[in-house]
Amino acid sequence: MGYINAIIILGGINVIAALGVAILTGYTGLFSIGHAGFMALGGYMCAIMVMEFNVPFAIALLIGGTFAGLCSFIIGYPAFRSRLRGDYFAIATLGFSEAIRLVLNNTYEVVGGAFGYMGMSTLTTLPVILIAVALALYFAHMFVTSQYGKNCIAVSQDEVAAQMMGVNLLRTKLIALFISAFYAGVAGGLLGFYMAYLSPSFFSITRSSDLLAAVVFGGIQSLIGPFITAFVLIAVPELLRFFAEWRLVVYGLLFVVVMLFRPQGLLGYVEMNFAFARRWWSKLTAKKDASAKGGAA
Amino acid sequence: MELFFQQIVSGISIGAVYSLLAVGYALVYSVYNFTNWAFDAFMAFGAFMAFYAISLFFMPFWAAALISIVLTIVLSVGSERLAYRPLRLRKAPRLFMMISAMGANLMIVNLLNLIFGGSFRRFPVDAAKPFFIGNVSIGRMDLLAGAISFAILALLWWFLYRTKPGLGVRASSIDIMTASLMGVNNDAVAFIIFAVTGALSSVAGVFYGIKYAVFPYMGLVTIKAMIASIVGGLGSLPGAVVGSLILGVLETLVAGYISSTYRDLFSFLFLVIILLFFPNGLMGKSGDEKL
Repeated sequence: MGYINAIIILGGINVIAALGVAILTGYTGLFSIGHAGFMALGGYMCAIMVMEFNVPFAIALLIGGTFAGLCSFIIGYPAFRSRLRGDYFAIATLGFSEAIRLVLNNTYEVVGGAFGYMGMSTLTTLPVILIAVALALYFAHMFVTSQYGKNCIAVSQDEVAAQMMGVNLLRTKLIALFISAFYAGVAGGLLGFYMAYLSPSFFSITRSSDLLAAVVFGGIQSLIGPFITAFVLIAVPELLRFFAEWRLVVYGLLFVVVMLFRPQGLLGYVEMNFAFARRWWSKLTAKKDASAKGGAA
Repeated sequence: MELFFQQIVSGISIGAVYSLLAVGYALVYSVYNFTNWAFDAFMAFGAFMAFYAISLFFMPFWAAALISIVLTIVLSVGSERLAYRPLRLRKAPRLFMMISAMGANLMIVNLLNLIFGGSFRRFPVDAAKPFFIGNVSIGRMDLLAGAISFAILALLWWFLYRTKPGLGVRASSIDIMTASLMGVNNDAVAFIIFAVTGALSSVAGVFYGIKYAVFPYMGLVTIKAMIASIVGGLGSLPGAVVGSLILGVLETLVAGYISSTYRDLFSFLFLVIILLFFPNGLMGKSGDEKL
């Protein structure tokens, strides 16, 4: 049971971070290969808040997420203002996350350097993760269906056309980046308080690739696709240990194959909604009404 | 003062290696409008091939380098055939090309990691014997790397600006459709570009491997080449070279006088500062997306 628990919790953490990447990559069309950096920022901030300042866990998570979001402006503002091509923004995120890891690895004062930040308790339990995932999914859904989300989709389709329709490119991209980094930061905080310690090695480029893989396989412009794949990509290597080593090679191959044969991904452009449930419910109630009427007649 | 000159020379030589990579990126980008993310994997592949050619088959250095170049060209052209060409023919969005390239990168780097192991290897070439000009000692390999890199860049310039196939490549970089209507063979251009960039990445990999070490994730250094090409001005080949030299010198000076641990942090800060004050890079005209 503990094993299943662990998979669900780690999967849930991955899902939250992947939802952030989905908003940025899937909806806004901006590539990030450095989201692990935002996870690290949020995770360490959250840990410091709880351990040094006795802030309640939930609030510390929000602080960590906000901190990661604010830090994202360090790369977001110069990169978007100069209208860097998407490829170069991706490189900037990679450079940023490597820089963060470098600083964390060599700062021994508060964060413990390469040994990691230790002595944390396990606060991320199954109910916590389930609530967090539900909230994350709900807010992501609200965001992408809002006017802001529509702006993001417009930017990803055609920047020039979006700008002509009055979309503020800089602001839209920064909002998407902020929210995306916020999600990653919260996921980092949850990860730290599940593992009971934080180490810079958690936040390597491999983790960023994992998150990107979840979004690519799950499908662009979809939340439910990355939701499913982010969970599966954590569960499968855990269940099939021999596969863990070859995981990244297979992901790479799948990236190419998916692009060649099913570029929209598993559930690309399929939006999560509850229309099917509503339809089912209305059908059910309609039948009841009909039978009730039939009975009366 | 001697130390300062040594740093400058060493910086120029590493800058020359960066410029091979930066020019490779710029070349692919100028024609196909996407960044070849697999480039850093080619670099690591080239370094590994040369490393094993020397340490397993005891080849002389030049033969090993030649074999590495040939194998990397095969890999580069092969990846273009398999991963990019079908997308290009379908006129797929750039995002898909990018993902496909990232996939190729992930696969090749992690295959190298699984097959050869992730340890750091010292390149089996005697690079230690320095070379003296007055009191300034210069690593022989630094000198060789710098000289060969500049020679290759000159050769590339000659090829692009003085030969007919080079003209075809330049025409394609302006408009690939029109160029093909004018009789430029698109497939031949693709072959030339990926062969040239494959060779560039292999040479850069070998020299970088000699200077530091050979390991599967050594391709991460291509971030620096990217930074250099942004600093120099997007999409411009001379800009890529100038940006690389500036970055190389700056980096060695930081490593020498301030802190070698935070060297990479400085290159990144440098990028952020350049973007804030020179949004189009030092030599670029405009960083806007092509319409």
